[in-house]
Amino acid sequence: MLMDNIYGEHYYGLLSFMGTLEKQISMMEQTLEAFNRTNIIDHTMARLKNEESVLQKCSKKGVEPTPDNILSNVHDIIGIRIICTFLDDIYKVRDGIRDLEGITIVEEKDYIAHAKPNGYRSYHIIVRNAQGYPAEIQIRTISMDTWAALEHDIKYKKDITVNKELITAELKRCADELASTDVSMQTIRNMIYGQM
Amino acid sequence: MKILIAEDTQDLNRAVTVLLTRSGYEVDTAFNGEEAYDLILKNGYDAIILDIMMPKMDGITLLTKIRQKRILTPVMMLTAKADIDDRVAGLDAGADDYLPKPFAMKELLARVRAMIRRGGDYSTDKITFADLSLNGDDLSLSSNNTVRLSLKEYELMRELMLNSDRALATGHILEKVWKGEADTGEDTVWLYISYLKNKLTAIGSPVKISGEKGGEFTLQA
Repeated sequence: MLMDNIYGEHYYGLLSFMGTLEKQISMMEQTLEAFNRTNIIDHTMARLKNEESVLQKCSKKGVEPTPDNILSNVHDIIGIRIICTFLDDIYKVRDGIRDLEGITIVEEKDYIAHAKPNGYRSYHIIVRNAQGYPAEIQIRTISMDTWAALEHDIKYKKDITVNKELITAELKRCADELASTDVSMQTIRNMIYGQM
Repeated sequence: MKILIAEDTQDLNRAVTVLLTRSGYEVDTAFNGEEAYDLILKNGYDAIILDIMMPKMDGITLLTKIRQKRILTPVMMLTAKADIDDRVAGLDAGADDYLPKPFAMKELLARVRAMIRRGGDYSTDKITFADLSLNGDDLSLSSNNTVRLSLKEYELMRELMLNSDRALATGHILEKVWKGEADTGEDTVWLYISYLKNKLTAIGSPVKISGEKGGEFTLQA
Protein backbone atom coordinates (compact mmCIF):
# COMPACT_ATOMS: atom_id res chain seq x y z
CA MET A 1 0.00 0.00 0.00
CA LEU A 2 2.69 2.45 1.06
CA MET A 3 4.84 1.70 -1.99
CA ASP A 4 1.87 2.33 -4.32
CA ASN A 5 1.94 5.97 -3.34
CA ILE A 6 4.01 8.34 -5.45
CA TYR A 7 5.54 9.84 -2.30
CA GLY A 8 6.66 6.40 -1.07
CA GLU A 9 7.85 6.28 2.52
CA HIS A 10 7.48 10.07 2.84
CA TYR A 11 3.71 9.98 2.46
CA TYR A 12 2.79 9.92 6.14
CA GLY A 13 5.58 12.36 7.01
CA LEU A 14 4.19 14.81 4.46
CA LEU A 15 0.65 14.39 5.78
CA SER A 16 1.92 14.97 9.28
CA PHE A 17 3.84 18.11 8.24
CA MET A 18 0.73 19.42 6.50
CA GLY A 19 -1.31 18.85 9.66
CA THR A 20 1.32 20.58 11.79
CA LEU A 21 1.33 23.62 9.50
CA GLU A 22 -2.46 23.82 9.59
CA LYS A 23 -2.43 23.71 13.38
CA GLN A 24 0.31 26.35 13.62
CA ILE A 25 -1.54 28.62 11.21
CA SER A 26 -4.76 28.19 13.19
CA MET A 27 -2.92 29.17 16.38
CA MET A 28 -1.40 32.16 14.61
CA GLU A 29 -4.85 33.17 13.36
CA GLN A 30 -6.24 33.17 16.89
CA THR A 31 -3.33 35.27 18.16
CA LEU A 32 -3.59 37.75 15.31
CA GLU A 33 -7.34 38.09 15.69
CA ALA A 34 -7.12 38.57 19.43
CA PHE A 35 -4.43 41.19 18.96
CA ASN A 36 -6.15 43.07 16.13
CA ARG A 37 -9.69 42.49 17.47
CA THR A 38 -10.96 41.71 14.04
CA ASN A 39 -11.26 38.88 11.56
CA ILE A 40 -7.95 38.50 9.71
CA ILE A 41 -8.29 35.15 7.94
CA ASP A 42 -11.48 34.25 6.14
CA HIS A 43 -10.53 30.61 5.64
CA THR A 44 -7.59 28.28 5.08
CA MET A 45 -7.29 25.31 2.74
CA ALA A 46 -4.64 22.59 2.54
CA ARG A 47 -4.00 19.83 0.01
CA LEU A 48 -1.38 17.30 -0.97
CA LYS A 49 -0.51 17.51 -4.67
CA ASN A 50 -2.19 14.70 -6.58
CA GLU A 51 -0.24 12.09 -8.51
CA GLU A 52 -1.16 13.40 -11.94
CA SER A 53 0.04 16.94 -11.18
CA VAL A 54 3.26 15.64 -9.63
CA LEU A 55 4.02 13.56 -12.74
CA GLN A 56 3.31 16.54 -14.99
CA LYS A 57 5.63 18.74 -12.95
CA CYS A 58 8.43 16.15 -13.02
CA SER A 59 8.22 15.68 -16.76
CA LYS A 60 8.21 19.47 -17.21
CA LYS A 61 11.39 19.65 -15.14
CA GLY A 62 12.87 16.58 -16.84
CA VAL A 63 13.38 14.49 -13.68
CA GLU A 64 12.43 10.90 -12.83
CA PRO A 65 9.44 10.90 -10.47
CA THR A 66 11.24 9.10 -7.64
CA PRO A 67 10.19 10.12 -4.09
CA ASP A 68 13.53 11.87 -3.45
CA ASN A 69 13.42 13.75 -6.78
CA ILE A 70 9.88 14.82 -6.04
CA LEU A 71 10.85 16.14 -2.62
CA SER A 72 13.69 18.25 -3.98
CA ASN A 73 12.04 19.48 -7.20
CA VAL A 74 8.36 19.96 -6.46
CA HIS A 75 7.99 22.80 -3.97
CA ASP A 76 4.24 22.72 -3.70
CA ILE A 77 3.74 19.07 -2.73
CA ILE A 78 1.98 20.55 0.26
CA GLY A 79 -0.14 23.53 -0.70
CA ILE A 80 -1.70 25.79 1.87
CA ARG A 81 -3.89 28.68 0.87
CA ILE A 82 -4.80 31.40 3.34
CA ILE A 83 -7.62 33.69 2.28
CA CYS A 84 -7.75 37.09 3.97
CA THR A 85 -10.54 39.63 4.03
CA PHE A 86 -8.46 42.78 3.49
CA LEU A 87 -5.25 43.61 1.69
CA ASP A 88 -3.22 44.63 4.76
CA ASP A 89 -4.12 41.35 6.48
CA ILE A 90 -2.00 39.50 3.92
CA TYR A 91 1.13 41.13 5.30
CA LYS A 92 0.11 40.47 8.89
CA VAL A 93 -0.26 36.78 8.01
CA ARG A 94 3.04 36.81 6.13
CA ASP A 95 4.81 38.19 9.20
CA GLY A 96 3.12 35.47 11.27
CA ILE A 97 4.39 32.76 8.90
CA ARG A 98 7.93 34.16 9.14
CA ASP A 99 7.74 33.67 12.91
CA LEU A 100 6.52 30.05 12.82
CA GLU A 101 8.78 27.56 14.59
CA GLY A 102 10.22 24.46 13.00
CA ILE A 103 10.35 25.74 9.43
CA THR A 104 12.79 27.71 7.32
CA ILE A 105 11.73 30.05 4.56
CA VAL A 106 13.21 29.06 1.21
CA GLU A 107 11.69 31.78 -0.96
CA GLU A 108 9.08 34.53 -0.94
CA LYS A 109 7.39 35.82 -4.06
CA ASP A 110 5.29 38.96 -3.85
CA TYR A 111 2.95 38.75 -6.82
CA ILE A 112 0.90 41.55 -5.26
CA ALA A 113 3.65 44.15 -5.56
CA HIS A 114 4.65 42.55 -8.87
CA ALA A 115 1.53 41.09 -10.44
CA LYS A 116 2.03 38.46 -13.14
CA PRO A 117 1.39 39.74 -16.68
CA ASN A 118 -1.98 37.96 -16.78
CA GLY A 119 -3.06 39.86 -13.66
CA TYR A 120 -2.47 37.08 -11.09
CA ARG A 121 -1.95 38.46 -7.59
CA SER A 122 -0.98 36.50 -4.49
CA TYR A 123 1.81 36.28 -1.90
CA HIS A 124 3.78 33.02 -2.09
CA ILE A 125 6.08 31.62 0.58
CA ILE A 126 8.00 28.38 0.10
CA VAL A 127 9.09 26.71 3.35
CA ARG A 128 10.81 23.50 4.42
CA ASN A 129 10.73 21.66 7.73
CA ALA A 130 13.66 19.98 9.48
CA GLN A 131 13.14 16.78 7.47
CA GLY A 132 13.40 18.81 4.26
CA TYR A 133 9.73 18.49 3.35
CA PRO A 134 8.60 21.46 1.25
CA ALA A 135 5.34 23.39 1.35
CA GLU A 136 4.02 26.37 -0.56
CA ILE A 137 1.87 28.84 1.32
CA GLN A 138 -0.25 31.20 -0.76
CA ILE A 139 -1.80 34.24 0.89
CA ARG A 140 -4.39 36.34 -0.92
CA THR A 141 -7.63 38.30 -0.51
CA ILE A 142 -11.08 36.90 -1.25
CA SER A 143 -11.23 38.83 -4.52
CA MET A 144 -7.78 37.62 -5.62
CA ASP A 145 -8.96 34.10 -4.84
CA THR A 146 -12.15 34.48 -6.86
CA TRP A 147 -10.09 35.73 -9.79
CA ALA A 148 -7.59 32.85 -9.52
CA ALA A 149 -10.44 30.33 -9.42
CA LEU A 150 -11.86 31.60 -12.70
CA GLU A 151 -8.44 31.85 -14.31
CA HIS A 152 -7.69 28.27 -13.23
CA ASP A 153 -10.94 27.01 -14.74
CA ILE A 154 -10.21 28.70 -18.04
CA LYS A 155 -6.60 27.52 -18.15
CA TYR A 156 -7.62 23.88 -17.79
CA LYS A 157 -10.74 24.03 -19.91
CA LYS A 158 -9.73 22.70 -23.27
CA ASP A 159 -12.85 23.34 -25.31
CA ILE A 160 -13.20 27.09 -24.98
CA THR A 161 -15.26 28.19 -27.93
CA VAL A 162 -15.18 31.94 -27.31
CA ASN A 163 -12.36 34.23 -28.40
CA LYS A 164 -9.43 33.34 -26.13
CA GLU A 165 -7.63 36.66 -26.64
CA LEU A 166 -10.74 38.52 -25.57
CA ILE A 167 -11.10 36.38 -22.45
CA THR A 168 -7.44 36.89 -21.52
CA ALA A 169 -7.73 40.67 -21.92
CA GLU A 170 -10.97 40.75 -19.96
CA LEU A 171 -9.48 38.65 -17.15
CA LYS A 172 -6.57 41.08 -16.95
CA ARG A 173 -9.01 43.99 -16.79
CA CYS A 174 -10.95 42.28 -13.98
CA ALA A 175 -7.71 41.62 -12.06
CA ASP A 176 -6.74 45.31 -12.26
CA GLU A 177 -10.24 46.41 -11.25
CA LEU A 178 -10.34 43.99 -8.32
CA ALA A 179 -6.88 45.13 -7.20
CA SER A 180 -8.12 48.69 -7.29
CA THR A 181 -11.22 47.78 -5.28
CA ASP A 182 -9.13 45.90 -2.69
CA VAL A 183 -7.12 49.09 -2.15
CA SER A 184 -10.29 51.22 -1.97
CA MET A 185 -11.85 48.93 0.64
CA GLN A 186 -8.67 48.96 2.71
CA THR A 187 -8.63 52.77 2.49
CA ILE A 188 -12.25 53.04 3.66
CA ARG A 189 -11.53 50.59 6.46
CA ASN A 190 -8.50 52.61 7.59
CA MET A 191 -10.62 55.75 7.53
CA ILE A 192 -13.35 54.14 9.66
CA TYR A 193 -10.79 52.97 12.19
CA GLY A 194 -9.13 56.37 12.20
CA GLN A 195 -5.79 55.20 10.85
CA MET A 196 -5.53 58.08 8.40
CA MET B 1 -17.76 77.73 -17.18
CA LYS B 2 -15.04 80.03 -15.93
CA ILE B 3 -13.18 82.50 -18.13
CA LEU B 4 -10.28 84.82 -17.44
CA ILE B 5 -10.05 88.10 -19.36
CA ALA B 6 -6.68 89.86 -19.24
CA GLU B 7 -6.90 93.27 -20.91
CA ASP B 8 -5.38 96.55 -19.70
CA THR B 9 -7.81 98.87 -21.47
CA GLN B 10 -10.36 99.49 -18.72
CA ASP B 11 -13.36 100.10 -20.99
CA LEU B 12 -12.78 97.08 -23.16
CA ASN B 13 -12.10 94.85 -20.15
CA ARG B 14 -15.35 96.03 -18.54
CA ALA B 15 -17.38 95.55 -21.75
CA VAL B 16 -16.11 92.02 -22.34
CA THR B 17 -16.64 91.10 -18.68
CA VAL B 18 -20.26 92.29 -18.76
CA LEU B 19 -20.91 90.50 -22.02
CA LEU B 20 -19.46 87.18 -20.84
CA THR B 21 -21.17 87.41 -17.45
CA ARG B 22 -24.53 88.08 -19.13
CA SER B 23 -23.90 85.08 -21.35
CA GLY B 24 -23.71 82.90 -18.26
CA TYR B 25 -19.96 82.60 -17.78
CA GLU B 26 -18.17 83.15 -14.53
CA VAL B 27 -15.53 85.79 -15.24
CA ASP B 28 -12.29 86.84 -13.55
CA THR B 29 -10.52 89.97 -14.74
CA ALA B 30 -6.88 91.01 -14.82
CA PHE B 31 -5.44 94.32 -15.98
CA ASN B 32 -1.84 93.27 -16.49
CA GLY B 33 0.15 90.19 -17.35
CA GLU B 34 1.46 89.43 -13.88
CA GLU B 35 -1.97 89.62 -12.32
CA ALA B 36 -3.28 87.26 -15.02
CA TYR B 37 -0.39 84.84 -14.45
CA ASP B 38 -1.08 84.66 -10.70
CA LEU B 39 -4.79 84.03 -11.32
CA ILE B 40 -4.05 81.25 -13.84
CA LEU B 41 -1.74 79.50 -11.39
CA LYS B 42 -4.29 79.81 -8.61
CA ASN B 43 -7.50 78.93 -10.45
CA GLY B 44 -8.61 76.59 -13.17
CA TYR B 45 -10.26 78.20 -16.20
CA ASP B 46 -12.17 76.78 -19.13
CA ALA B 47 -10.86 79.53 -21.41
CA ILE B 48 -8.50 82.51 -21.23
CA ILE B 49 -8.69 85.70 -23.28
CA LEU B 50 -5.34 87.53 -23.45
CA ASP B 51 -4.45 90.94 -24.79
CA ILE B 52 -0.99 90.96 -26.35
CA MET B 53 0.07 94.44 -25.25
CA MET B 54 -0.15 94.55 -21.48
CA PRO B 55 1.93 96.19 -18.74
CA LYS B 56 4.26 94.16 -16.49
CA MET B 57 4.15 91.05 -18.71
CA ASP B 58 2.99 90.93 -22.32
CA GLY B 59 0.49 88.32 -23.52
CA ILE B 60 2.97 86.24 -25.51
CA THR B 61 5.44 85.93 -22.61
CA LEU B 62 2.54 85.01 -20.33
CA LEU B 63 1.23 82.39 -22.75
CA THR B 64 4.70 80.89 -23.18
CA LYS B 65 5.07 80.61 -19.41
CA ILE B 66 1.75 78.88 -18.83
CA ARG B 67 2.27 76.43 -21.70
CA GLN B 68 5.69 75.56 -20.24
CA LYS B 69 3.82 74.68 -17.08
CA ARG B 70 1.68 72.34 -19.16
CA ILE B 71 -1.46 74.34 -18.50
CA LEU B 72 -3.47 73.43 -21.56
CA THR B 73 -6.45 75.76 -21.09
CA PRO B 74 -7.64 77.14 -24.47
CA VAL B 75 -6.33 80.69 -25.04
CA MET B 76 -7.56 83.40 -27.39
CA MET B 77 -5.27 86.36 -28.12
CA LEU B 78 -6.56 89.85 -28.79
CA THR B 79 -4.25 91.44 -31.38
CA ALA B 80 -3.85 94.75 -33.10
CA LYS B 81 -5.44 94.58 -36.56
CA ALA B 82 -2.32 95.40 -38.55
CA ASP B 83 0.17 93.24 -36.77
CA ILE B 84 0.53 89.88 -38.49
CA ASP B 85 3.76 89.15 -36.60
CA ASP B 86 1.92 89.33 -33.29
CA ARG B 87 -0.67 86.82 -34.46
CA VAL B 88 2.01 84.44 -35.67
CA ALA B 89 3.98 84.80 -32.44
CA GLY B 90 0.80 84.21 -30.42
CA LEU B 91 -0.18 81.07 -32.31
CA ASP B 92 3.37 79.76 -32.12
CA ALA B 93 3.43 80.34 -28.38
CA GLY B 94 0.39 78.10 -28.03
CA ALA B 95 -2.66 80.28 -28.60
CA ASP B 96 -5.71 78.47 -29.94
CA ASP B 97 -7.28 81.42 -31.67
CA TYR B 98 -6.85 85.17 -32.16
CA LEU B 99 -9.22 88.05 -32.68
CA PRO B 100 -8.01 91.31 -34.25
CA LYS B 101 -9.13 94.56 -32.61
CA PRO B 102 -11.56 96.15 -33.04
CA PHE B 103 -13.92 93.20 -33.00
CA ALA B 104 -17.67 92.69 -32.84
CA MET B 105 -18.83 91.37 -29.47
CA LYS B 106 -20.95 88.77 -31.25
CA GLU B 107 -17.85 87.35 -32.87
CA LEU B 108 -15.96 87.26 -29.56
CA LEU B 109 -18.78 85.26 -27.99
CA ALA B 110 -18.97 82.84 -30.91
CA ARG B 111 -15.21 82.26 -30.81
CA VAL B 112 -15.25 81.67 -27.06
CA ARG B 113 -18.05 79.14 -27.48
CA ALA B 114 -16.14 77.38 -30.27
CA MET B 115 -12.95 77.31 -28.23
CA ILE B 116 -14.64 75.84 -25.17
CA ARG B 117 -16.35 73.24 -27.35
CA ARG B 118 -12.98 72.17 -28.68
CA GLY B 119 -11.60 72.19 -25.14
CA GLY B 120 -11.92 68.41 -24.95
CA ASP B 121 -9.45 67.98 -27.79
CA TYR B 122 -6.70 69.31 -25.63
CA SER B 123 -7.00 66.42 -23.26
CA THR B 124 -4.26 63.95 -23.98
CA ASP B 125 -5.32 60.32 -24.01
CA LYS B 126 -2.17 59.16 -22.30
CA ILE B 127 -0.27 61.35 -19.88
CA THR B 128 2.89 60.53 -17.98
CA PHE B 129 4.64 61.74 -14.87
CA ALA B 130 7.86 60.20 -13.49
CA ASP B 131 7.28 56.42 -13.76
CA LEU B 132 3.51 56.79 -14.03
CA SER B 133 1.31 56.58 -17.05
CA LEU B 134 -2.38 57.37 -16.99
CA ASN B 135 -4.43 56.09 -19.88
CA GLY B 136 -7.70 57.84 -20.69
CA ASP B 137 -8.90 55.05 -22.96
CA ASP B 138 -9.33 52.49 -20.20
CA LEU B 139 -8.84 54.60 -17.02
CA SER B 140 -5.75 52.58 -16.11
CA LEU B 141 -2.87 53.86 -14.00
CA SER B 142 0.43 51.98 -14.43
CA SER B 143 3.88 51.68 -12.94
CA ASN B 144 5.16 48.18 -11.96
CA ASN B 145 1.56 47.02 -11.89
CA THR B 146 -1.61 48.37 -13.38
CA VAL B 147 -4.87 49.26 -11.64
CA ARG B 148 -8.13 50.42 -13.17
CA LEU B 149 -9.40 53.64 -11.65
CA SER B 150 -12.98 54.77 -11.18
CA LEU B 151 -13.99 57.80 -13.27
CA LYS B 152 -13.56 60.31 -10.43
CA GLU B 153 -10.22 58.81 -9.41
CA TYR B 154 -9.10 59.11 -13.04
CA GLU B 155 -10.19 62.73 -13.30
CA LEU B 156 -8.49 63.62 -10.02
CA MET B 157 -5.27 61.82 -11.02
CA ARG B 158 -5.31 63.55 -14.38
CA GLU B 159 -5.72 66.96 -12.76
CA LEU B 160 -2.80 66.20 -10.40
CA MET B 161 -0.59 65.00 -13.25
CA LEU B 162 -1.36 67.95 -15.52
CA ASN B 163 -0.56 70.34 -12.68
CA SER B 164 2.34 68.42 -11.23
CA ASP B 165 4.39 71.48 -10.34
CA ARG B 166 1.78 73.37 -8.37
CA ALA B 167 -0.40 72.82 -5.34
CA LEU B 168 -4.09 72.22 -6.04
CA ALA B 169 -6.49 73.51 -3.41
CA THR B 170 -9.33 71.28 -2.22
CA GLY B 171 -11.80 73.88 -3.55
CA HIS B 172 -10.20 73.82 -6.98
CA ILE B 173 -10.36 70.02 -7.08
CA LEU B 174 -14.04 70.05 -6.06
CA GLU B 175 -14.78 72.48 -8.84
CA LYS B 176 -12.75 70.66 -11.50
CA VAL B 177 -13.57 67.05 -10.71
CA TRP B 178 -16.93 67.17 -8.93
CA LYS B 179 -18.15 70.32 -10.70
CA GLY B 180 -20.16 71.48 -7.72
CA GLU B 181 -22.15 68.23 -7.33
CA ALA B 182 -24.37 68.10 -4.25
CA ASP B 183 -23.10 66.48 -1.05
CA THR B 184 -19.44 66.76 -1.95
CA GLY B 185 -16.85 68.47 0.19
CA GLU B 186 -13.39 68.19 1.65
CA ASP B 187 -14.18 64.69 2.97
CA THR B 188 -14.87 63.55 -0.60
CA VAL B 189 -11.61 65.01 -1.89
CA TRP B 190 -9.65 63.54 1.02
CA LEU B 191 -11.11 60.05 0.50
CA TYR B 192 -10.24 60.13 -3.20
CA ILE B 193 -6.76 61.50 -2.50
CA SER B 194 -6.35 58.61 -0.03
CA TYR B 195 -7.52 56.07 -2.64
CA LEU B 196 -4.94 57.41 -5.08
CA LYS B 197 -2.16 57.47 -2.49
CA ASN B 198 -2.73 53.80 -1.69
CA LYS B 199 -3.11 52.88 -5.36
CA LEU B 200 0.23 54.52 -6.13
CA THR B 201 1.74 52.26 -3.48
CA ALA B 202 -0.13 49.24 -4.84
CA ILE B 203 1.34 49.68 -8.31
CA GLY B 204 4.84 50.15 -6.85
CA SER B 205 5.31 53.79 -7.82
CA PRO B 206 7.58 56.10 -5.79
CA VAL B 207 5.29 59.05 -6.66
CA LYS B 208 3.57 60.58 -3.63
CA ILE B 209 0.71 63.00 -3.13
CA SER B 210 1.56 65.52 -0.44
CA GLY B 211 -0.98 67.60 1.46
CA GLU B 212 -3.37 67.44 4.38
CA LYS B 213 -7.13 67.02 4.54
CA GLY B 214 -8.86 70.22 3.40
CA GLY B 215 -5.60 71.74 2.17
CA GLU B 216 -3.61 71.80 -1.03
CA PHE B 217 -2.31 68.71 -2.82
CA THR B 218 0.77 68.21 -4.97
CA LEU B 219 2.09 65.25 -6.89
CA GLN B 220 5.75 64.57 -6.10
CA ALA B 221 8.19 62.26 -7.84
